[in-house]
Amino acid sequence: MKPFAYTRAHTVWDAVAAVSAEPGARYLAGGTEMVNLVREGQESPDRLVDIGDLPLTEVRVHGRGVRIGALAKRVHEHPEVRRRLPVLAEAGLSAASPQVRNVATPGGNLLQRTRCHYFRDVRFPCNRREPGTGCAALRGVNRNNAIFGGSEHCVAVHPSDIAVALTALDAVVHTHGPAGERVIPVEELYRLPGDEPNRETVLDHGELIVAIDVPPTPFAARSHYLKLRDRASFAFALVSVAVALDVRAGVTHDVRIALGGVAPRPWRARAAEDALRGRRFDDDARAAAGEAATTGAKPLPHNEFKVELVRRAVVRALSEVEGR
Amino acid sequence: MSRPTKAPDKAPDRITTPITGGVGESPLRPDGTLKVKGEFAYSSDLWMDDMLWGATLRSPHPYARIVSIDLSGAWQTPGVHTVMTYDDVPGEKLFGLEHTDQPVMAHEVVRYQGEAVAIVAADHPETARRAVDKIVVEYEVLEPLTDAEEAVFATDAPTLHPGGNLVRHLPIRRGDQHATADVVVRGEYEVGMQDQAFLGPESGLAVPAEDGGVDLYIATQWLHVDQKQVAKCLGLPNDKVRLMLAGVGGAFGAREDLSMQVHASMLALRTGRPVKIVYSREESFFGHVHRHPAKLYYEHGATREGRLVYVKARMFLDGGAYASSTGAVVANAATLGVGPYEAPNVTIDCWGAYTNNPPCGAMRGFGAVQAAFAYESQMDRLAAELGLDPVEVRVRNAMAEGTTMPTGQVVDSAAPVAEMLRRVEAMPLPPAAPTDSYDLRELPGGVSNTTHGEGVVRGIGYGIGIKNVCFSEGFDDFSTARVRLEVIAGEPTAMVHTAAAEVGQGLVTVQAQIARTELGVERVTIHPADTQVGSGGSTSASRQTYMTGGAVKAACEKVRGLLLDIARERLHVEGQLHLDGGKIVSDRHGVLADLAEVLGDEVIDETVEWRHRPTEALDPTTGQGFAHVQYAFAVHRAVVDVDVDLGLVRVVALDCVQDVGKAINPDAVVGQIHGGSAQGLGLAVMEEIQVRDGKIRNPSFTDYLIPTILDMPPMKVDVLELADPHAPYGLRGVGEPPTISSTPAIVAAIRAATGLAIPRCPVRPEDITGTA
Repeated sequence: MKPFAYTRAHTVWDAVAAVSAEPGARYLAGGTEMVNLVREGQESPDRLVDIGDLPLTEVRVHGRGVRIGALAKRVHEHPEVRRRLPVLAEAGLSAASPQVRNVATPGGNLLQRTRCHYFRDVRFPCNRREPGTGCAALRGVNRNNAIFGGSEHCVAVHPSDIAVALTALDAVVHTHGPAGERVIPVEELYRLPGDEPNRETVLDHGELIVAIDVPPTPFAARSHYLKLRDRASFAFALVSVAVALDVRAGVTHDVRIALGGVAPRPWRARAAEDALRGRRFDDDARAAAGEAATTGAKPLPHNEFKVELVRRAVVRALSEVEGR
Repeated sequence: MSRPTKAPDKAPDRITTPITGGVGESPLRPDGTLKVKGEFAYSSDLWMDDMLWGATLRSPHPYARIVSIDLSGAWQTPGVHTVMTYDDVPGEKLFGLEHTDQPVMAHEVVRYQGEAVAIVAADHPETARRAVDKIVVEYEVLEPLTDAEEAVFATDAPTLHPGGNLVRHLPIRRGDQHATADVVVRGEYEVGMQDQAFLGPESGLAVPAEDGGVDLYIATQWLHVDQKQVAKCLGLPNDKVRLMLAGVGGAFGAREDLSMQVHASMLALRTGRPVKIVYSREESFFGHVHRHPAKLYYEHGATREGRLVYVKARMFLDGGAYASSTGAVVANAATLGVGPYEAPNVTIDCWGAYTNNPPCGAMRGFGAVQAAFAYESQMDRLAAELGLDPVEVRVRNAMAEGTTMPTGQVVDSAAPVAEMLRRVEAMPLPPAAPTDSYDLRELPGGVSNTTHGEGVVRGIGYGIGIKNVCFSEGFDDFSTARVRLEVIAGEPTAMVHTAAAEVGQGLVTVQAQIARTELGVERVTIHPADTQVGSGGSTSASRQTYMTGGAVKAACEKVRGLLLDIARERLHVEGQLHLDGGKIVSDRHGVLADLAEVLGDEVIDETVEWRHRPTEALDPTTGQGFAHVQYAFAVHRAVVDVDVDLGLVRVVALDCVQDVGKAINPDAVVGQIHGGSAQGLGLAVMEEIQVRDGKIRNPSFTDYLIPTILDMPPMKVDVLELADPHAPYGLRGVGEPPTISSTPAIVAAIRAATGLAIPRCPVRPEDITGTA
């Protein structure tokens, strides 16, 4: 571990100024991710700017939906979130462990780094960690890696659960950065690796997520998060599915389907949505959606099983939400 | 074949003394409250103000020649006190538990990823780590040998050690080697590499002593075997290497081999300062041996009535780069390879091999786990082939007291296998999987919201296991106990001193219980374990309550005898006296005096070395011999709900019957059964060190998954107490058996739910969805 400076920010703009000023500065919020990255050597910052004191902890319901502060804790327990946004409450509850959830933050969750073994183990080459060194996962154990959106340079998956749920809710993040404020749809927050896997998000250096906005949509209330993993709790998804549905008179009026554990970012399954939209919401439609969700899958030697799991998980998630 | 005979130990005259906290009760553990409150001092908490910190450079390659090592960067790091390599090892350069084949630090070649190459002592742990990073080693990387079968049989395999790649081959030959049968079932099985997953990483503190020796505070399973190896490597006599047991955060076999003991001692002696080494969690995965992954080929022949005619097996255990206890693990897998069944004709071969995979050695169940997964899978196949119930086929073949084992050993104490099977079968089943509103945590996937009952199929499976207790094959297995009785502040007080390692299993509680019962003294203190008293042997092989418990009992009996001699003399009485509730009691005259009164200022301090009955070596060509001291059994019935679409398993029930001979501490017994069953559940459905090309891919508790409370069901446990006349109090070792039988029971239940063959554990979702 390299020595680093530690400072606490008292206002959002102080924080943004402090991090923007130094290329080697990073934000520290809950610390459940950054502290590990620093200790294990994936990150070696010159300065950590602790934003834990910033007033970004509120969950607020207003006319334009639900605003979630970037530092709000245990958002999944909020009664309005549970009532209005079941997919988000379920995704939040399925993440990590109670101890981690007590300190982790939504902003940090969105920006956590991949759990790819080869990114985490600094003895291996990894284009995401060290551009140009190669991708060890392509030839290694790639059971947990991507079947969508990967490239010959990187096949890492994004580990967040709530990012998948937020993608299915058309949520956006509000940021404050050196160039001012902006709003970014969650889905567009992440870059696909392409030939620059080290650039994981569209955020500029120093740009800080201050809030997440979930707009009012006709499909949010009837939504569901399903997560497949190797043990019953405290494990990352092999495959996860967020679905949100607006069914009127038995016909799917609108729908969102996003997948987790299968791509470098929350993976919107648009072909699956198209297979449902405007059709009767029945077993045939759900089966067609499951099939469509696998469109474009490019499995690696050890994760062929994820393709079939995606198909089955989408069907299951749609069946589960039907009962709502 | 001769059978060693020895008169069985008598149970004490008056085991019903009105003393509280004696044998058969469950007094609170002295360490329990501290551990729950986070106040217990583990070895990683050791501290001296002037201490230095050690760190270890490890090989990134599973197999490579060392071309050169440049230490200058480390030496030039401010705060570094010394840097050492193989060349600096003052004594023997090699160590090892059974074979001395492992260099203290790598010499010319590295044989596994994570092998120690150099060590550094510095004024801060971070300084030490940075200095390690500055050491430049030039390697000539070689193609690793990663398959145990190839290591033994492939003619073109590289030779990893001077004697070849075979650590041990043990054949077992019994009866007709050409027997044929009406019904034959065959199977190939695989067991993945499990980790002990203890929570307290390897750590210790070495303090240089004025006499040129070293005092080593260490978390270990066996102080004296550490002492012997450390002293040799340091070139010191044993009495200049003194070990004190530091707080142990779990062991499960992984602390039987040395980790940082010699390294910290070398650094301390070189710098003249105390040196502490604590492994990080990741380093810990490279710092201890694991459970041998196994490939097993089985063939069972039976009559149409389901009676076994023969069992044939070929087993390959991957020992990794160094031998550790591979030889003994091979013996267990082979001698217990038929399981708790009668089979007149047996042909078993077990090979333990060197490869460039992580070294494997002791882990709870020790060879019996791998064999049980295969033989229990075979018994289910046989049942299916014959159209018999899985319990029925097991009962028809169940061994019993008087059974001749595949080694020719006649079982000479209780082996209630059939009764245990019937009892577990008769336990009430959990209610059927709910179909409408219920707690999600009760379904596969749990709170992951994967199902409300769709796709869920229930399955029931049985598993039974057999384990040898104590060290086998003629090993001189003993434990030493010192017991001191004196009156302190008017109250008789016993002090028990042994070198037996408390690793979390509750031995300190048991030692005190035995002293209370034997001496009728309520106040018992347990002296910290160290090498100032004779060896207690290893805390492994489910042996410590038997062995150190036996030694404490014997020492107490000696102390009691001396006390009663004093009483006869001081009270001027003849004849039989007893100790009862702190009183000296005569058969004829009743209560004569208080113990404290009789003892006065006298101190009785006795040390006893205690042995179990001797065993024999196995014949190297036939595997015949009286090799095992005692057999122990546990049976599980697993009930699982499997989401067959999504490949998720929820173990709904994992009920267990175990014969423990005598429950010295019933709560601790049940705790061992819970813990062992959970560890077996881990191997069944999630725990595996993933190794590819000799490299570990998941050295963290984020990626190496162990069961949580949501994975483990509440258990019904039925404890039988059928005394073994050869053992103290009739007790039978408890710790390992439940680990052996829970894995095959769970996998059998998954097979029953899915109809799949599932030849490998752990079982992953893709093994169930059929899309692996």
